[in-house]
Amino acid sequence: MRQRDARVFALTGATGFLGSHLMDALIRKGRSLVILGRRRKGMSLADRVAALLAWFDVKDRGALVETAEVDLLEPRLGLERHQYDVLCGKVSEIIHCASDTRFSERTRREATETNVHALPGIIGLAKDSGARYFHYVSTAYVSGPGPAPEAPIVSRTFSNVYEETKAEAERQVAARCSLQATPFTIVRPSIVYGDSVTGRSNRFNALYYHVKALQLIRDIYLNDISQHGGRKSREIDIHLDPEGILHLPLRIFLARRGHVNLIPVDYFVAVMLSVLESPRSGRIYHITSDAPRTTEELAAYCERFLRIRGIETLYGEGQNGGVQNPPEEIFNKLVRPYLPYLSDTRSFDRTNTNGLAAGFSAPDLTYDVFERCMRYAVRMDWGNGNGKSDAGVSRASG
Amino acid sequence: MVNKMDEALGIAGNCRHYAMCKIDFLGTGVCASGVERGYVSFYPEGRMDLYAALAKGKVHVTEKCVEIAQSCDLCGKCDYQCCFVTGLRPTRVMEALKSHVARHLAAGKPVAHADADPFLQSIRRIVGDEWATNDRAIAVTYSHDPSPLAVPAPPRYVIMPGTRQEISSLLKLLGSAGIPWVVRGNGTNLMGFELCEGAVIDLNRMKEIEFDEKNWSVRVGPGVAAFELQREAAQRGYRVNVAEPAALVCGTMMCAGIVSLFSTAYGSCADNYIDAEFVRTDGSFFSLNEKNAPNLFAFDRAGAVSPGVCSSLRVKLHPMTGDESGALVPFDLLEKAIDFSRDCAMRRIGLAIGILGPEYLSSFMSPTQRTAVEVKDALARKLGIACMVLVLGDRYAMASLREMGHPMIGQGLFTVLSLGLPSLGTADWLEFIAGLPEEEPFGYLKGGGFADLAEAALCPSAWRLVRDFDPDLRPVYEEIYSRPDLTDLVWLNMFRITSSRIGRQKQFLPFLMYLPLDHTLIDDVCAGLGSTALRYALKNNLGFITPVDGGKRCVLEYDYFFDQNDGDEIDRVRQAAAEAGAIIDRLSARTGTIRWVKYIFQQGYCRKENLLYA
Repeated sequence: MRQRDARVFALTGATGFLGSHLMDALIRKGRSLVILGRRRKGMSLADRVAALLAWFDVKDRGALVETAEVDLLEPRLGLERHQYDVLCGKVSEIIHCASDTRFSERTRREATETNVHALPGIIGLAKDSGARYFHYVSTAYVSGPGPAPEAPIVSRTFSNVYEETKAEAERQVAARCSLQATPFTIVRPSIVYGDSVTGRSNRFNALYYHVKALQLIRDIYLNDISQHGGRKSREIDIHLDPEGILHLPLRIFLARRGHVNLIPVDYFVAVMLSVLESPRSGRIYHITSDAPRTTEELAAYCERFLRIRGIETLYGEGQNGGVQNPPEEIFNKLVRPYLPYLSDTRSFDRTNTNGLAAGFSAPDLTYDVFERCMRYAVRMDWGNGNGKSDAGVSRASG
Repeated sequence: MVNKMDEALGIAGNCRHYAMCKIDFLGTGVCASGVERGYVSFYPEGRMDLYAALAKGKVHVTEKCVEIAQSCDLCGKCDYQCCFVTGLRPTRVMEALKSHVARHLAAGKPVAHADADPFLQSIRRIVGDEWATNDRAIAVTYSHDPSPLAVPAPPRYVIMPGTRQEISSLLKLLGSAGIPWVVRGNGTNLMGFELCEGAVIDLNRMKEIEFDEKNWSVRVGPGVAAFELQREAAQRGYRVNVAEPAALVCGTMMCAGIVSLFSTAYGSCADNYIDAEFVRTDGSFFSLNEKNAPNLFAFDRAGAVSPGVCSSLRVKLHPMTGDESGALVPFDLLEKAIDFSRDCAMRRIGLAIGILGPEYLSSFMSPTQRTAVEVKDALARKLGIACMVLVLGDRYAMASLREMGHPMIGQGLFTVLSLGLPSLGTADWLEFIAGLPEEEPFGYLKGGGFADLAEAALCPSAWRLVRDFDPDLRPVYEEIYSRPDLTDLVWLNMFRITSSRIGRQKQFLPFLMYLPLDHTLIDDVCAGLGSTALRYALKNNLGFITPVDGGKRCVLEYDYFFDQNDGDEIDRVRQAAAEAGAIIDRLSARTGTIRWVKYIFQQGYCRKENLLYA
């Protein structure tokens, strides 16, 4: 039996992007973890975690990690009484990372279950275990339009189900933890990409998704040109210039000028560790970038990385450019759910975060960082399982 | 030589008996000797059976055997036809048959003569010497059926009457001698009902087709195949509601009342015809329009015996408009597809409606089995399509579909996909686009962008599509696939020339039934039949569902697949079929609304309402 003062973290969402990186960072610091999660696709939680430990190259520290297969929607997390009591006896702090990040209205039920209905169970564990802190990983985008203070949510306007359910979750975390006198923190990261130093990532969503889409569209027309005479390409003025760069006219339609707030996962982890080291109850922390990129800048990165030219960003409410060419139509359909994040005008207050680690700003998303991350993604075939080994890519981060 | 023999025997043993070699569905011609001699034995299907029987020593080289072998000129037409649907190359069997017989004759071995048979002489006095035989080489080609339910039975006589009067005289003669008989369709019926140890009556000679346009009907003889009738009707601007292309129209009418996707608009059973003429088993005649004719409009849930031989059928003609088109509406859940198809049927939107699973679609669309596997994976796994609803209709129906707002694959995109199939399996972009975080499944199909992008990505071409075939077949297939018909949803579903591809990988045993278009009941049926098949380790699938009678009922086909040369698998499919039958019977008794085709055989002339609701 571990001593309670040894700080054993119960971590949910450890098989996800943020949670897995947090797991890695914590065990590198010698922290003990109890990973709470579920089987998936016939794979036990222990096997899923073991695979992640291998990916992070920390299998040798596996002794610091225990797993418990739970169902957060069930009383006592779906555990037998004695199992639950044992769990309560171990846990000293809880980090709740598990989340359904889908935006779609048709996934509302699942998103609500995971993001909201699961809270009583995990917060109940905090009470039953006498946890010193409950840390909740939210999103910077719960704050709705306008200035975004590091304060409880006031807004009732959300861009999608994800934001809405995370906002409701924040309210419940604050209310339930206060009621049961469990100290809590809420961290709100913006959009997270891979490791800014190594380029590594074990998820290829968000930023990657758009780059991958452009790459696939590019490859379709490159193939049309090289293998089939380029008939379809010519129809919409797609051609290869003498330098081998593909001219791909593609307009992105945004409601207004704005920016995209992106942070690398190593920065998220660093701030989270700071929060865990010196938490202040009731505090909310924005893990965001002080230097968000514009869509034009990101488009230029994409053009350079993919050796294409012709991406144009157009602004205006209801702007759709009239007749769209097929790549535009498909790409803009793809972009549609992310539109609020591509022309964001919010400024995120970072008073609390800066107080944790003064002067500790997010690394800038330069082209070099972008290229490093995308090269890794391409090498890994965007996580499709057809990627080459990432042996040789340094795992040392930050 | 041994390898060639093995190969030929392997091909012969896999003949599916779909009789596609008896109709000119590709426009490449039909085996000339078959057309001339009539007996199935002179068609590739019969020659395959004959060779298999010879190679296994089940039949001697007879006079007819020599004639059958020598009448094949190895023209290769059967390869075009058979390979198109089953992937088999029958010409290799034809060569083996000819060599076998040539070696036999060159070695001076005896040629068996048919037994002298006074009764055969009596038959021949009715139909003519040429059209009745007891030669065992002919008989063996009428002796079996790949259905696991069939009991092989070499007939004593094979008879091909040419007129209604001849049928009458024959039935009297056979009846007086106590010789059992059966009427055979073009191929087989997958149930073994066409087998008989007495006389098999093959009506292949009776191919009259007489149009009566002012009365919107066409009178067809009992030897007319669905494809032949549809082709003649289409040339005059009409459509008929018929079954599989090689199936005989009268025979199908008798068996199941004719089921097709067009049954949604045109109905089934008595909806399809105006009158029918019969020869009773005692040789007398009647037609259904006579006041004192037997009441074949009734339906008996316990089943019925044959009213005789249908010697002619007056089939309804339906108009075609020049603006007909088709669309496939994808769904991620069968339940949604059922609701949608019922909605369309209730609102009378569309001429033909069918819910098709990925297995059916991929089999129909794909020229080869290899492509079919890739396409099924692309549809089911990459795109997440549980099933598609095919809707055919005029421009108003298509406009209604668009107004209903479902994402769909229109005719243009279908053509692109059909001719671009070779690139579909490796299309990573497809999987990615399918993963678009949209509010609506398959929302990317809305708008023209996807179709155009697909065209750029898949580079559809008949030339590339036929690369999987043997080099000698490619030029002809390229020409065939270059025809607009081959990617035209309306044409393909009128003529159904690719539907037998469902049995390309393995032979199939279909369970057909009428039932309410209700997803809970359909789930029960599918779950029962599916779990039974799985217990016997059999591949199985929901085939199709077609709404009938304004969506109040539907026709459902569920298929079990088996290797027709694997004794163990045949045993398993027999056992599974028995259990599946019991499940259908139980569900039928519980609900009172399910009509299994097993009990409809011989009652296809009934009123649809009697069948469905009485």
